[in-house]
Amino acid sequence: MNDGILIGLETAFAGYNIFMVVVGCFAGTIIGMLPGLGPMSAIALMIPITYGFDPASAMILMAGVYYGAIFGGSTSSILINAPGVAGTVSSSFDGYPMAQRGEAGKALAIAAYASFSGGTIAAIFLLVAAPQLAKVSLSFHSADYFALMCVGLLSIAAFASKGQFLKAMIMTCFGLALATVGQDSLSDITRFAFGNINLMDGISFVLLVMATFAMSEAFMIIFKKTDINFKASDVSKKKLGSIKLSKAEIKEMVPVIGRTSILGFLVGVLPGAGATIASFLAWGFERGIASAKDKLKFGKGSIKGLTAPETANNAACTGSFVPLLTLGIPGSGTTAVMLGALLSFGIQPGPRLYVDQPELFWAVIVSMYIGNVVLLVLNLPLIPYIARILAVPKNILVPLVLFFSVTGVYLISFNNFDIYFMAIVALISLVLRTMNFPMPPLILGFILGGMLEENLRRALLINDGSFSFMIDRPISLGLFIVMILIVLMQVYQIIKNRQTNSRDELT
Amino acid sequence: MSINYSRITAFIFLLFFVLYSYFASEIVVFDFDEDADFNARTFPLLISYLGIGVSFLTFVLSKNDGQTMGQYEWLGVIVLFVLVFTYGIIIKSIGFFLSTNLFLMAAYYHLGARSYKVLLLCSLPVVAGMQFMLHQLLGVYIRDPFLYSLGIIS
Repeated sequence: MNDGILIGLETAFAGYNIFMVVVGCFAGTIIGMLPGLGPMSAIALMIPITYGFDPASAMILMAGVYYGAIFGGSTSSILINAPGVAGTVSSSFDGYPMAQRGEAGKALAIAAYASFSGGTIAAIFLLVAAPQLAKVSLSFHSADYFALMCVGLLSIAAFASKGQFLKAMIMTCFGLALATVGQDSLSDITRFAFGNINLMDGISFVLLVMATFAMSEAFMIIFKKTDINFKASDVSKKKLGSIKLSKAEIKEMVPVIGRTSILGFLVGVLPGAGATIASFLAWGFERGIASAKDKLKFGKGSIKGLTAPETANNAACTGSFVPLLTLGIPGSGTTAVMLGALLSFGIQPGPRLYVDQPELFWAVIVSMYIGNVVLLVLNLPLIPYIARILAVPKNILVPLVLFFSVTGVYLISFNNFDIYFMAIVALISLVLRTMNFPMPPLILGFILGGMLEENLRRALLINDGSFSFMIDRPISLGLFIVMILIVLMQVYQIIKNRQTNSRDELT
Repeated sequence: MSINYSRITAFIFLLFFVLYSYFASEIVVFDFDEDADFNARTFPLLISYLGIGVSFLTFVLSKNDGQTMGQYEWLGVIVLFVLVFTYGIIIKSIGFFLSTNLFLMAAYYHLGARSYKVLLLCSLPVVAGMQFMLHQLLGVYIRDPFLYSLGIIS
């Protein structure tokens, strides 16, 4: 393990990779700040650029973009009450009121310190937890992996659906169905290509991510007539106010950071749950344990109320790397995109990654520390300048996002068909998103589809075609019980909602 | 049972998964694989059963959420979609540089930008910068008949 850490340190501190962290954090902050464009879009836009890189540098860049985007999202939440990222919605509850009373600089500083602390503490947890989990997962069989992936798919459908579990499940099935297009990995039989040569290799993962996130987000800005225009003068240094925090304010933040970084990390580790759930839970948790006097301040510019979600969302980002790096199962939609990127590099994340490619495993973890420092050093003094990106009018921003999306996909294949296909997928996903059909389950289904089929095939062949493997092994059985619990919880939720609605209709 | 957009979408998905199930059962596998415990058909069939199940449940259980589609800017998005499609058609024939500039300028114009300065400054330097980065820094060559005819690229 020590050798691995040393190799990771060497890789992460290579000048080129430090440059990648800086670029990633900077680009992520800018993209994350733009309302509508979240970390998934930001990472999707980066994938084509990383194709010439070695996998470690690419992952370092994408990890930087991830927490940069979360930080950028906080900035637009605080300054204009328009969260760029779902994970920073709860930051606007207290951040925006602070900005309104002329303490925008202070709110941004609190967000920066909380994000830094949350990310750094979680990176320490990751350093300890990831190798342990990787060791445990070495004993996993195909049946266990199959069960684990099913848990991942079910839980992302449960968490990402915002009460629309069935719709999320449709999207999961749709993603799994799209993953079956092209050649079957074992028999080489072509499926669902209908004689179209462009579909014989399957649907490109980058195309799907770009179309469902970056391109459909750009369409959405026009579709919903979102007003994202913002005056550059609103983020001038004078208007932001001081970024200095008093000793009393820091004292108020410290215990909140301690509690919510643990909470955020644990939520991040859970498959399906991510920064959004972590930040809401942390805000609610801190409000719940606050004194009656402090409770009244929540939602009106409370320091605790801003510190909690900011710490938790960054800790959750780091936590979501645990299942990705150790089990090869993404903990969130964003890490699902990263998993797809890793697979396209020919790297299979999972327990073997820790043994076979320690430089990648450890470099990503070490780069998180560097990334957190970079975010603090780079963003705090530069916020008044970076935030001017919010002043870019949508009639300039939307075509540019479309251009980067199309170019990103075209540069991989140089195939016009991909552009047509991408435009159609983007239009379909725009309509589906308008009707509350979530996209992360589709992406996770698409990415895990191939692995799910592989593991199911192996498990069935070992068990002579019997599905008894689900209950034969303790790990599979445990995961199978978790699956049933998730489904039962959702069924209960659906019944409860229907009862409430019919009661409302009667009254 | 009232008709709403969620129900219509669920019905479309139901049809999709029924068709998917049909095509899955039509996948031609090797003779020796026909009766195997797992072949190229098995997984798609399992997905189709699950898909049919959940889309049917969504179809039955969907409530009228009062959603209307008329409030959205359909025309603006459809024009952008056509522009992206056209960009895909012309990118190979007239080359990356010219097609991208035309696409960007048309999109800016469509979304309300009228100043020539904005149209030119937000497209020409962006595309030139991108092409320079691709050619000179990342070593990605994009065939460009227009720039080739001008002698800018070889």
